[in-house]
Amino acid sequence: MKIFFSFLLIIFLAFSGYHLSFRNFRLPLFARKFYLTGTEFLFLGLLLGPQFLNILDDNTFRGLEPLSALLLGWIGLLFGFQFEISKLRRFPFEFFIAAILEGAMTFLFVFFGVILFYKSGLLNTNLSGPTILIVALTLSAAAACTAQTGVVLLASEKVAKHRQTVKILRYISSIDGLFAIVIFGVTIMLRPEIYSGSPLVNWLGWTTFISLSACAGLLMLYILFFTQRREESELTLVVIGMVMFTSGASSVLNMSPLFTNFFIGFCLVNLTREKEKIFNILVTIEKPVYLLLLVFLGRSWQLSSAWIIFLAAIYCIHRAAGKITGGFIITRLGPALKLQPSNLGFGLLEQGGLALAILFDYHQNFPGDITAQVVSLALLAIIYNEFLSPNFLNRLLKDD
Amino acid sequence: MPRKIQTRDSLTVYFLILILITVFALWFKSLEIESNRQQAGITILSLGIVLLAAYVFSRILKITKLPLITGYIFAGIIAGPYITGFLSVDDVERFRLVDDLALSFIAFTAGGALHLQSLKKKSRIILFNVALLTIVVFAIVYLFIISTGRYFDFINTLSSTNITVFAILLGVVSVARSPSSAIAIISECRASGPFTETILGVTVVMDILVIIFFTFAMTIGKIVINGSEAVYYTALTGLSLEILASILIGIVLGKGISIYIDKAGHDLPLFLLFLAFGVTRTSLWISDFTETHFNIFLHLEPLLICMSTGFTVQNFGSGGKIFMESLDRMALPIYVLFFSLAGASLNIESLIICWPLALSLVFVRAGSIFLATWTAGTISRDPSIHKNNAWMAYLTQAGVAIGLAQLAQRQFPEIGSYLTTVVLAVISINQVVGPITFKAALNIVKETGRD
Repeated sequence: MKIFFSFLLIIFLAFSGYHLSFRNFRLPLFARKFYLTGTEFLFLGLLLGPQFLNILDDNTFRGLEPLSALLLGWIGLLFGFQFEISKLRRFPFEFFIAAILEGAMTFLFVFFGVILFYKSGLLNTNLSGPTILIVALTLSAAAACTAQTGVVLLASEKVAKHRQTVKILRYISSIDGLFAIVIFGVTIMLRPEIYSGSPLVNWLGWTTFISLSACAGLLMLYILFFTQRREESELTLVVIGMVMFTSGASSVLNMSPLFTNFFIGFCLVNLTREKEKIFNILVTIEKPVYLLLLVFLGRSWQLSSAWIIFLAAIYCIHRAAGKITGGFIITRLGPALKLQPSNLGFGLLEQGGLALAILFDYHQNFPGDITAQVVSLALLAIIYNEFLSPNFLNRLLKDD
Repeated sequence: MPRKIQTRDSLTVYFLILILITVFALWFKSLEIESNRQQAGITILSLGIVLLAAYVFSRILKITKLPLITGYIFAGIIAGPYITGFLSVDDVERFRLVDDLALSFIAFTAGGALHLQSLKKKSRIILFNVALLTIVVFAIVYLFIISTGRYFDFINTLSSTNITVFAILLGVVSVARSPSSAIAIISECRASGPFTETILGVTVVMDILVIIFFTFAMTIGKIVINGSEAVYYTALTGLSLEILASILIGIVLGKGISIYIDKAGHDLPLFLLFLAFGVTRTSLWISDFTETHFNIFLHLEPLLICMSTGFTVQNFGSGGKIFMESLDRMALPIYVLFFSLAGASLNIESLIICWPLALSLVFVRAGSIFLATWTAGTISRDPSIHKNNAWMAYLTQAGVAIGLAQLAQRQFPEIGSYLTTVVLAVISINQVVGPITFKAALNIVKETGRD
């Protein structure tokens, strides 16, 4: 019964919160920013979780696991739908390279930072090599992603004044998660826990073959569905069924629902005629899905030790350094990019949706104490970024 | 492209899809499940497979002019524990949440489809139909069991007292029908008109009344078996209060929805989905809570609450049209899941055990429904096309009948398992045949495709 009530409460809060946050709420800019990103739902999750009310206890949370896979799948599919090649081609190719490069730079900055930190022995954690590697990959994947909220919130006169900069910021923040999601997806697929013990090369080959075959089969299935034009209600049914199918299959095959659905979304947006309709269906409940994700993540938040606050700050600074360096490098890439201010990275500090989904996927795949700490750290860093990023964005636009 | 070629192409695509889904289903079922995450994956995967397969199956059957819900039910039967075993009995039980949610949602639609003005106009015919269907169906089924019970192997070991109680309870269960199937067929055929309105009105009213009749029947059954005269006055008073409370809660919720539509209005389908879920689970929780803590069994009827809600929004507010449109937007996935899971839960084993009795009962029930509706139609001077075909619309049976049989099983352990087995077997036939005859009836009276 607790599962049902928790589900009920969460749905209600996510739903009402969505309306408060995204619809009719008018507050001063600072508070609006806080509400717009739905950060308060992290705190709600924390409140419902085992540390306070314990409504979302471990059993309840396990009972809601199918819903978790569905949420991840929905976000993954939606992210995949942003990679419509014909639309990406409207922008110069160097923009695309710049976005990937910026994401990769941040990824590498954070990755090596985390590895060095653990190897330095500053923290006596006794973690195994593979665990450290997975932690580093997850944190760096989450760090590489940029959210668009800050840019979306800009006043229209500012947007008009800095049209080119805003355009490239929007472009980069919508696709710089590509590198991260691919690396993270592969990490989940090839994680040591599911290593069968057979020769490594054989196991890698077999896992890759199974994963690719499953994706190809699923893709074939969905393309067959979309060969005929369907009414909206039928399309809604197919999309819901598709996300359930893909997310379930991913979980059973020890793959990431986020990554698999992203891959399916990417293929479908480039192969089907119904892409606009599918996208509209996905967007309809994007916000409630996102807020539910925040609640679930908030539930896993552990604020037991104070050092996490400092570690999160270090992580945040490291990420910012990666973003700023990445931004600096990409403004040297080509003629269109050279016109941009060299501190472009200041506009890419916001961290949101996809990063949260990556953290949640990690949490679902690697249950344990270290996971809770990593997620808590990353969530704190996301909140730091919420406060910092508007100032940096304003500085960028001032310099522009 | 000529229609024939188009249909052939569609069929080819649908068969290819079914083959692929089957391959996936076989593959995943053969895998070893080791972790909780994989178990959760299997749950959501099964739902996805059932949803997509049932949809495709119904499209294939559509070519043969069969109702879509027949396709969903067949897909469920095939995926269920008795044919391929893709969904085990435990799986079906696990999906009860989806089932309850869908049922509440369908009940919103049932309530919303009732227009007070047309109900007032049709009150005479509805009243006759309800009265005759109750009396005639109960009487004929009862007499049939009493007179022929000893000839059926399945129940000839029961004592004559037990056969009497068995006949009484089966008689009442035979009166129950399936509002969900009726709504789904009406919605699929986009049917409207006097015939449709009468059927819907009668079905909804009977859904409420059958619960009351059943309580009476149980009381009589207790008297027959125990010889006591302890009539369940308390139970009847309790039941009346429960029904009243359910209706009142529904009215309050309906008013709430009307206000929401007026003041906010956006994302209504999501809001309704949430509400349907809330009503179902809260009703169950209240039952559990009052029973555990106060030893009072207060059973709020979620279906009745939702019907009352839908009726209030439709008839006592300005948002009836928006309300129905919102329900319609979510209808397809909900119908597909609900009816395919209903198909999966049909008890084929019961049918195999007692098919001669079940089949006879299906015919007797159909005959008695014909007699009742024909008489009601004649008294209220209905057009002959209506009175001759109305029986076809009342054959479907589902959840309510099962619920009543299970309730009886708890109260009468001596005959409970016999009753449940026969009821499940009869429902298995009626739930397959009913939608087909209902759609045929709507086609004959020419009330399809009007909405």
